[in-house]
Amino acid sequence: MNISESKDFLVNSASLKEVRIFSREIFEKIDINEDLKDELVLAIAEAAQNIVKHAYKNIDSKTDKMEIKISLKDSELEIGFFDKGRPVDTANVRHRKIDDVKPGGLGTFFIQQIMDAVVFKEGEKPWINHLVLTKKI
Amino acid sequence: MTYKVTEEGNISTVFLQGEIDMDVTDKAKEVIMPLVEAKKEVHLNLKDVQYMDSSGISVLIESHQKANELGTKVILKDISKSVLKVIMMAKLEQVLNLG
Repeated sequence: MNISESKDFLVNSASLKEVRIFSREIFEKIDINEDLKDELVLAIAEAAQNIVKHAYKNIDSKTDKMEIKISLKDSELEIGFFDKGRPVDTANVRHRKIDDVKPGGLGTFFIQQIMDAVVFKEGEKPWINHLVLTKKI
Repeated sequence: MTYKVTEEGNISTVFLQGEIDMDVTDKAKEVIMPLVEAKKEVHLNLKDVQYMDSSGISVLIESHQKANELGTKVILKDISKSVLKVIMMAKLEQVLNLG
């Protein structure tokens, strides 16, 4: 089964629930187990949260949107995130040391645990950032 | 997210319900942290929490660490399968108090 669906979301924390609903609806169409669906929804929500938290840190926009595109082709799942926030400095994208227990820094760790690859690209206009998560399913 | 708090002696039990993500972490902290700061033993009942992300996990860590600092504890009770999975993914099952 091949799938390609995308949706825009306002960049704020209240959108994260909608992001999860959108993602889950797509994964319900794919023959994968429930645990994997939960993990993929978590990875997508964490990536969207990072856009709200980091790319839009101190940017007060009530109108900017991010786009999430979920594609499946030949068992290769690709999830694209597009935003117009602050350019991501990939050198700063890292999770905390997992045995240094403190609040924060786990979202990126979850994403890396769940997905096969996490790649930041320069966004093509009008986008600033383009994050691509992939996983063979 | 909704919640209910019951008190019995020095134990406060917070029954959390719904989904705990970045959008509700402030609300969760507003409920939990004053109880910890009052040096209550806080039981967080997570039976009806269907989803928790890294922000929710941060609330668990923060309240756990604050409780340790104040000589009390936060114990996680009736943890739902989905929340337990995230706790284990974060490798926190040996760090947090799972009761």
